[in-house]
Amino acid sequence: MSKYDSKFYDFFTHPDSPELMAAGAKKYGYSGIVVTNLKANEGIILPDDFSIYKGVEIQAKSSRIREEIKKHRDSNIITIVRGGEEDINRASVESDGLDILLQPSEFNNVLAKAASDNSIAIGLNLGLLIRLRGDARVRELKNMRIILKHARKYKLKMILTSDSSSVYDLRSPREMVALSSLFGMTPFEAIDAMSITPENILRRKSPDYIKEGIEII
Amino acid sequence: MKTLPTLREKKRYIAFEINSGMAIIRQELVREISNSIISLFGDKGASEINPSLMSFEGRFGILRCAREKTNETRAGLACINNIHGILVSIHVLGISGTIKGATEKFIQQSLVKESEPEKRIKK
Repeated sequence: MSKYDSKFYDFFTHPDSPELMAAGAKKYGYSGIVVTNLKANEGIILPDDFSIYKGVEIQAKSSRIREEIKKHRDSNIITIVRGGEEDINRASVESDGLDILLQPSEFNNVLAKAASDNSIAIGLNLGLLIRLRGDARVRELKNMRIILKHARKYKLKMILTSDSSSVYDLRSPREMVALSSLFGMTPFEAIDAMSITPENILRRKSPDYIKEGIEII
Repeated sequence: MKTLPTLREKKRYIAFEINSGMAIIRQELVREISNSIISLFGDKGASEINPSLMSFEGRFGILRCAREKTNETRAGLACINNIHGILVSIHVLGISGTIKGATEKFIQQSLVKESEPEKRIKK
């Protein structure tokens, strides 16, 4: 059994046409995507063995972020915060109920510890590597190395996303593994970041889930 | 002059497919591939990878690279997102040791796979 046989998910897409995106993702070997700008789930024809999950990108001031996350806490919507300045990162890792903090800059041990306590996955945005060139890409690669270092030390969950707005931004899992090797991620870590971590988040969001370690028999 | 077999450079052939809205011109693809690899790995890295486009027709193509550098080449191809203003994504179908292998195993296979669903409808 090859290590590429597991199910892969892309957890941050915002396409104009979810149908085209689903067909493209299925062709590339994904078994599910999270769409953050999904309006209505009805009327979308999906390929076999493929599912679209609803997500939301929370954009707010650092003082309001906690309340925004609380709104979606008990729903099955996957919450994503696009990381940035220190205060946004800090507010989001300290609020219980967030699923993914995407590409935080200036990541440090305090943030890593808080994220590990609240079991928040750290997203690495490979779309930036695809779209940026030159200095900006160097900065992001450096940033990703720092995140990876902290994630290994504090055993944080990592997620690889493509941040794609059209089917042309999407890359197949093997390409994502090759891109993640640019900043020192091993293939096994990268595959876990695309299959096991997303599955855990989906399991946590399913209605049957009560609390870690408890299940109805 | 013919080089000794043991001194020959070991190479791999990458079969790929281009997803794009419009047709791509070969020269522009070649330029974009070398641009992308040079911007990612620098001149030294690009010389080690030694990429060269063997054939390209419409959607499918075969790229040659050094045997040890297939992963880097894959990353270089993945970083291409537009060719002369046309949005594209390059999908690697497979890697083989011979041009014949790459063509038969990956490019013809994927053409066969595409025509299969139509057959099913006819039944």
